[in-house]
Amino acid sequence: MRKIPLIALLALVGLPSAGSAAEWVLEQSTITYSVSHPLHHLDGISHAAKGKGVCRANQCEFLIAVPVKSFDSGDSNRDLHMLQVTRAGQFPMITVRTTIPETLSGTTVSADLEIQFAGQTAHYSQVPLQRRDHDKQSRITGTIPLKISDFKIEAPSLLAIPIKNDVPVALDLSWLSR
Amino acid sequence: MRSTALALALLVSMPSFGAAQSTDDRAQGISLEELGFSKDQAQGNKEDQALLDKRSRMLKIHQELGLITIAPLLATLYTAPGDKSHQAARNRHALLGIATFSLFDATVYFALKAPKPKGTIDKGSVRVHKAFTWVATIGMLCTPILGAMAYDQSQKGQKVHGAASLHGAAAAITAISYGGAIASVSIKF
Repeated sequence: MRKIPLIALLALVGLPSAGSAAEWVLEQSTITYSVSHPLHHLDGISHAAKGKGVCRANQCEFLIAVPVKSFDSGDSNRDLHMLQVTRAGQFPMITVRTTIPETLSGTTVSADLEIQFAGQTAHYSQVPLQRRDHDKQSRITGTIPLKISDFKIEAPSLLAIPIKNDVPVALDLSWLSR
Repeated sequence: MRSTALALALLVSMPSFGAAQSTDDRAQGISLEELGFSKDQAQGNKEDQALLDKRSRMLKIHQELGLITIAPLLATLYTAPGDKSHQAARNRHALLGIATFSLFDATVYFALKAPKPKGTIDKGSVRVHKAFTWVATIGMLCTPILGAMAYDQSQKGQKVHGAASLHGAAAAITAISYGGAIASVSIKF
């Protein structure tokens, strides 16, 4: 007789925590980096990012990852050089992690981002992101003020002139709630 | 005792507990595998990086040699002797032409030998660069041959004629295509 209530109690303890976590999945993405040089201004674009968000205890943790080699600047030679300077052979992925409150008000979210890139980790605080919700979808746009020196990347140069240290990364992410 | 053991066994084996555990793991960090990236995609290797490094090193030498080649190329054009030039001027022009040809060869060598990751498809300005380089390469081969013919005809006291008379035009086309090859990867049109 004592066994039955104990089993029921254990089942009750175990079940709810597994089912309560809300999830977000990255449906579509456009990530664009911009490089400036006196002779060039170029953009590299990737649509290959994957992402997921897990919400628990009023906090949502997000991970977005994109292969470095998926960025296309329109010039294969330049893209291969980008892979070399960013050490993409050894560190092929860029990951962005952030935790934001589950319930948000307003259309602007300030997120603290942890970015792993080129074997280094950098933190960008209070990055303003714009949010537009539609049913179960949420579209997030914004720009990460990335600096290549934060990741110990040596600035590539053309005709002995290096590119600018600032390489802003524009995000356009469409999330779906599950 | 028996009921405690049963409770412990249930605690460990119950699927719902396992699910709760994985949720805790996710809270600590979503993994790349959860996103759908395989371990091969997520983990790099030193060999791939070594190949990229070697490629960049060789292309840097290619770029530097390409820029250095401009000097003897311009000097060769500048010292181009006319029909009525002296032997010394012709020799100087020929020597500079040989220097240009040799440096050009070395420049092309480093571009051809630079390793490329499998599956790379040429895209963008590098295609224009290669098209100009083909023209420049043909020009670099033809121009000295035509120059030698012109030199030979001059030595015999003849007026330069036939294909040899195209030496100057071939040199101009070579120089222009060489400039185009450099400009195509330096300036965004």
